[in-house]
Order: sequence, then structure tokens, then C-alpha cells
Amino acid sequence: MRKNQKKSFYQVLALLVPFLTLINPPYLSLLGVGPRWAELWLLPWALYQGPIAGMFAGFCLGMMGDAINLGINTQLPALMLLGYFWGCLGQKKEYIDKPFSLGLFALFGSFLSGLLVWFQEIVFGNINDFVLFNKWAFQTILAGSVMTGFLAPFLCQLCIRTFFQRNSRN
Amino acid sequence: MFFRWIYQKRFWSLLGLTLGLVLVRFSKGAVLVDSFAVISRPFWPGTAQREWIVNGIDTEQKIRLDLLEKDNQRLRRLLDLKVTSADDVTSAAVISRRSRDFWQQLVLNKGSTNGISSGDVVLGPGGLLGFIETVTPTTSKVRLLTAPGTNLAVWIEQKKVHGVLTGIGTHRPQLNFLEKTPQAKAGDVISTSPASTVLPPNLPVGVIQYVNLKNLPSPYALVQLTASPEAIDWVQIRKGL
Repeated sequence: MRKNQKKSFYQVLALLVPFLTLINPPYLSLLGVGPRWAELWLLPWALYQGPIAGMFAGFCLGMMGDAINLGINTQLPALMLLGYFWGCLGQKKEYIDKPFSLGLFALFGSFLSGLLVWFQEIVFGNINDFVLFNKWAFQTILAGSVMTGFLAPFLCQLCIRTFFQRNSRN
Repeated sequence: MFFRWIYQKRFWSLLGLTLGLVLVRFSKGAVLVDSFAVISRPFWPGTAQREWIVNGIDTEQKIRLDLLEKDNQRLRRLLDLKVTSADDVTSAAVISRRSRDFWQQLVLNKGSTNGISSGDVVLGPGGLLGFIETVTPTTSKVRLLTAPGTNLAVWIEQKKVHGVLTGIGTHRPQLNFLEKTPQAKAGDVISTSPASTVLPPNLPVGVIQYVNLKNLPSPYALVQLTASPEAIDWVQIRKGL
């Protein structure tokens, strides 16, 4: 496959993100919270396509996510921020194909996006703040980011090897 | 001579029979009925008959419930209260379930083409699950009662205590009482408020698990919902008011 074909195939794969979010497979969830599939797709894309493409992809994923999620909060700013941040990180080539660093990026990224969602819930939600500072919010953020960090070394490295790195044969 | 029959064997056997019958008579048929029980044992009503009877009881209770609901509706109409009928109920399957995330929602397989609109009430086995919030042509999204920020007017029927049930994200939503000293205690059953202009009245919601009366000026309680969204595959959608 040529490089551009691979790239567009990976773009089509982004359509899987809302479906996987809706399916929310119970065997891949911790305390009922599944991995953040948007972050898992975004990480390889942003690392190899740079900050601007990463930011735009974060915007698209955020729009899709907000379409399927109820509630006032939005993942869009978090995903755009992560796309930009990971795109900048991707320019340092020594980090980006090591599974451990992929897991670490995904872990901290989804923790950050969870924090932003929680922050929106506190600021814009119509419930008193005292109630929201309970351990449920911490549990949800932690469970989501742990699952994302757990899957990222496998999935993201697979995606990078398949779609972004040149095969040794050609 | 005169008592010659005393010496006859036949007399004694007849006497024994008579006494035996007298005993049976005054014991209300002790031996007789017991022996009948032993003999008729193979023909006793088995589980099948038991099921018929249970079915009969179920049917009777359904009929009674139906009659009472009709009666209730008639009375509510007399009092000019909001009326819903049980006829406009749609069954739907749960096609996506996320009940423990920041976004606590279900996706159902019926949408606006099936006459679902936002604000409809979603009931599962056990009671109220949530409301329809958004509708697409073939699907609809349910906001669960546990989702943060969901508000619902409820009351405790026996004690006439009113409150607002607020989802706080955890399994157990919080019930904020409207009075300073509510007479509520753990174990009370809560249902949707009859004064609500949004929801059908008296739908079962949950059971109070814990009451904190010390949290003045707004005492609260935690409520265990009777319908659990984790285990429910089919729900009923009822028209809102």
C-alpha cells in the first residue's frame, strides 16, 4: 500500500471511534468505564501528522463524541489540546515508537481530558459542587485513563507499524 | 341364658366395629380421611395445578390493577389532574449501554418514526430508569436518573414527604428534601410526584438507603433505584405529559 492510501485508510478507521464508544465492551472496561477510544485513535495520528493535523483531528473526534454523548460537557477542547500537544511531541523522533512512552502519553492525555470534562461538569453543571467532589469523579477519570494507558501500547503501536511506518520490504 | 349373646364371638366383633365407627365419627374421620389421603396420593394436584392457580391469581391481580388504574384515572380527571393512559407504551431494546461513565446514557432502538419524543419516560422492570433526551429517526438516547444533574420531583407516598431526586454520578442518586425535618427513614419507597407536570404520577423509583438529617438546612437521603440499567435489555417508553 502506498503511503497516502494507508493514511486515508487510517482516517476511515476514525469512524470506528463513536461505534466503539457506543458498544463500550464490558470486558474492556474498569468499573464500567471503557477506554477513551478517541484518544487511542488520535495518539498515532497526531504523533505522525504534526500539531495542526492533530488539532483538526481532535476537533473532528470531539464533534463526533459530542454528537453521541448527552450532557452539557464537551470533549472537544481536551481533544484539540491533546492533538496539538501530541503533535509537538511527535517531532521528537526518539519518543514515538516506544510502547512504554505511547502508554504514558495515552495515560496522561486521557487523564487530562477527564479532568477537563469534570471541570466543565463542576462549572456548568446544575448540581452543587460539594456533591461533585466525591470519589466517583476520581474513579471515573482514573478508570478511563488506566484502560486507555493499558490499551495504547498494543493498539497504537499496531496502528503505527501498520499505517505510518515504512515497511522494510518496499 | 339372657346374656347368652355375650359369649358369642359375633357380638364382640360387631361391638368392636360399632365402637370403631363411633371413634371415627367423633374424631371427625381421623382414620378414614387419612387412609383416603394415602390412597389418593398419586392423584393429588401436582405442580401443573399449582401453576394454574398462580396464573389465576396473577390474572386476578392484573384485572384488579387495571380496574384500579381506570378508577384512578377517572378520579384524577374529576380532580382536573394530569392524566396518562397506559395504552401509549412502546417497547424498545437497549442497543448501547453506558451507565458508569461521565455520560450515563442508554441508546434505544426506537426513534421519532415510532412516535418517541424527548421528555418521554423510560421504564424498566422495577421502575423508572430515566427520560428520553434526544431523538433521531430510528434511535433515542435516555438520560439515566443516576447521571449527574438529572433532577426529578419525587415523594414518599405513605408519609407525603416531597423532595427532588438529583443524580450525582454514583449508583445512588441523592434525594434533597424540601422540608427541614422530613419524617423519612431508610426503607421508605419513593415514587414520582403526583404534583409533577412533566412526569406521569406514582411511578416507582427506588428505596431510601440512608438519611442524613444532620445536613441542615437541607437534609438529604441516598436512594437505591429499583430498576438497574446494567441488567436491562428491554425497556418501555411511556409518553410524558
